[in-house]
Amino acid sequence: MVPLKYNVRSLRARKVGSLMTIFGIAMVVWASIFAFGLSSGLDKTLEIAAEPLDVIVLRKGSTSEAVSAVTESAAREIKALKGIATNAAGTPLAASELVVFAYLPRRGAEIKVNVSVRGVDSVSRALRKEMTIVEGREFKEGVREAIVSRAMANRFQDLGLGDKFKVDGAEFEVVGIFEAGGGAVESEIWTDQAVLAQIAKRTGAMSSMQFRAASAADQERLINHIKNDEQIDLGALTEKQYYAEQAAQSSLIKFVGYIIAFVLTVGAMFAVANTMYGAIASRAREIGTLRALGFGRFSILFAFMLESLLLCVTGAALGCLAALGVNFLLGGIQTGTMNPGTFTEVAFSFDFGPMILLQGILLAVVMGLIGGFLPAFRAVRMKVVDALREV
Amino acid sequence: MKYFPLILRNVFRNKVRSTLTAISIAISLFPLMLLYAFLDLQDDMANSTAQYNRVAVLHEGGLAGQLPIAYVDRVRRQSGVKNAIPMSWFGGNYREERTQFAQFATDPKVFFEVYPEFTCPPDQIAAWQADKTGCLVGTLLAASKGWKVGDKIPLQGNIYPVDLELTVRGIFDGPETSDRSWLVFHFDYFDESLKEARAPNAGNAGIIMLRTDSASKMSPVMQSIESSFASSDAPVKPMTEKEFGASFLEMMGNVRGFIRMTATAIVIALVCVAANTMAMAVRERTREIAMFKAIGFNQNTILGMFLAESVAIGLLGGLIGGVGTKFLFWYIDMSAVDPGLAMFYVPWRTALWGVALAAAIGLFSGLIPAWRAAHVSVIEGLRKVV
Repeated sequence: MVPLKYNVRSLRARKVGSLMTIFGIAMVVWASIFAFGLSSGLDKTLEIAAEPLDVIVLRKGSTSEAVSAVTESAAREIKALKGIATNAAGTPLAASELVVFAYLPRRGAEIKVNVSVRGVDSVSRALRKEMTIVEGREFKEGVREAIVSRAMANRFQDLGLGDKFKVDGAEFEVVGIFEAGGGAVESEIWTDQAVLAQIAKRTGAMSSMQFRAASAADQERLINHIKNDEQIDLGALTEKQYYAEQAAQSSLIKFVGYIIAFVLTVGAMFAVANTMYGAIASRAREIGTLRALGFGRFSILFAFMLESLLLCVTGAALGCLAALGVNFLLGGIQTGTMNPGTFTEVAFSFDFGPMILLQGILLAVVMGLIGGFLPAFRAVRMKVVDALREV
Repeated sequence: MKYFPLILRNVFRNKVRSTLTAISIAISLFPLMLLYAFLDLQDDMANSTAQYNRVAVLHEGGLAGQLPIAYVDRVRRQSGVKNAIPMSWFGGNYREERTQFAQFATDPKVFFEVYPEFTCPPDQIAAWQADKTGCLVGTLLAASKGWKVGDKIPLQGNIYPVDLELTVRGIFDGPETSDRSWLVFHFDYFDESLKEARAPNAGNAGIIMLRTDSASKMSPVMQSIESSFASSDAPVKPMTEKEFGASFLEMMGNVRGFIRMTATAIVIALVCVAANTMAMAVRERTREIAMFKAIGFNQNTILGMFLAESVAIGLLGGLIGGVGTKFLFWYIDMSAVDPGLAMFYVPWRTALWGVALAAAIGLFSGLIPAWRAAHVSVIEGLRKVV
């Protein structure tokens, strides 16, 4: 085996060229990680929102809460069904909720976008991942007060603590900021249901109903029951399905991200091949010497492939570090986009988790293997005599 | 110019290297073209609508708000307004699946007065106007779904609790920058279905689209509409079609910024690749350069020769990547990815911009190696064994 030290030194000997390539690869990996991180961040936000045993009930045909309607009588009937989990006091964990839009400008922008305002009842909180008020206080029932997520408070002009915003012409005051460890609820404003219903002139019907099934078997049975009961006449699906469908709506962003990563990887392969061809061409004599010393063809091939991998993985590591560095400096890259399924704002953070970084490094390994193969193969094919004769 | 053959020979001297460089530039240019074409097209579409002097009238509360249908006539009567139509977004599911194509309920009698850029055979227009359940489909949408005149399109209500069955009565076409991936149908059919189902939101025009007599009338018309509805139950917010389009782009949030950031990373990576090649070309030719100098070539000539060489390689990659991408997207149907992309193509200006960028990358990346080549000392250079 050719010692690894040889390859490391070879890369060092041709500093500028190696650095250029490493830097180029780092940029490619960096761009890819951002593309992966964007779509994964969006998916995760929706994924976190889903509790495995939760069911969401909508009007038949509706694909999002915002356009659905569930009558009070249907909601009462569902609450009375057996198989819904209960809290310590014996109240079923089922909440009908009202979702309306507020039309608000993002910070630094003139144009307004739709933001979901959720009117919640007393059980709603129990159905969500832990929500904690980090600033201010809880909203009071019966008054025009609201709590907003930290992410939304940061993104929207009128959603800071103490600010006022309008829903259907009525003014609400932001009295608290909450955090919920990510998830769709962090794209929402919460307020008292009765107050919101009165302002939105929605009486007799809420937007959706959510409940937690006592077990997986109950969940399936309840979904089928709701779908087939003609009295209720509503659609039901697990929260997981609901959010998976929402996530599928962002397929365009994902597609663009992946195509960029793929094409850039192919482009970078050529760059790697180029560097390695150069490296090998200028070292023909060395290769001849190595062969004359008795290193076999395979170990030469292996050594050059390794060199190419080293180049790429170093680049990838740099790219990952850069992405993590930017993320760290900004304290997590928060952004938001429109959920094309509901036309409302989803706030989310880029995901630079281990899986995403691993994907970036894998890309680099592929670049190194494919880009390095042909040049390394060429090195192996050289005849010892010719190689030694080369100037 | 007398050095041209020499430069050309140098470009092709190391065929593997020049080809690899040109190809890696071309390939990296591909996503860059894709991203910029996307941004350019959005801008082109927004700009091209400006000539039709259209104004969108929305509820003050945005798209979710409701405007009574009676507002259409009130808007139509404003002075300076050529005509106005309701544009109710139906947003139904097609064959139980969530659709991503737009469906608007509108007024077939005057639709083409507000959208004069769209063309459709007169007999098809007449057939559409005569059939209450008829619809008119854009060419791109028809092509991607394989619809032809006479086909039935069942739509299941998503926002509204009604299902509709439409019949394709005609297919409309329009200019290259216009969106032709949507369909329009009768507002009356839509509204009657809502009333039958006792839906609370019957009689709602969605947004109102109007066309003014001339560009100069747009802002007075907007002002007078805004003030005349100010104290009503549903106050309105008129905006030009361009602003309306921009509000949709704004909804995408930082995605445009993200695209620009990625594009910048691609460009920097490209510079690194190209610079690397040029550095190799110089290193390998140190002796030769010294020889040139020894026989009397001056520094500027050598500098120019190397720069020309790297620009030529960049240009080659640019032509393959830029113009190639343009031609490639004549054959790739992006609507399979997302129906909203049915009209995706690479505009010439984007392609040419790519070529110019690649040439600039060549120039920029050649600077340091070329400078180094020009300053090689004759003696050192001749002595050097590479």
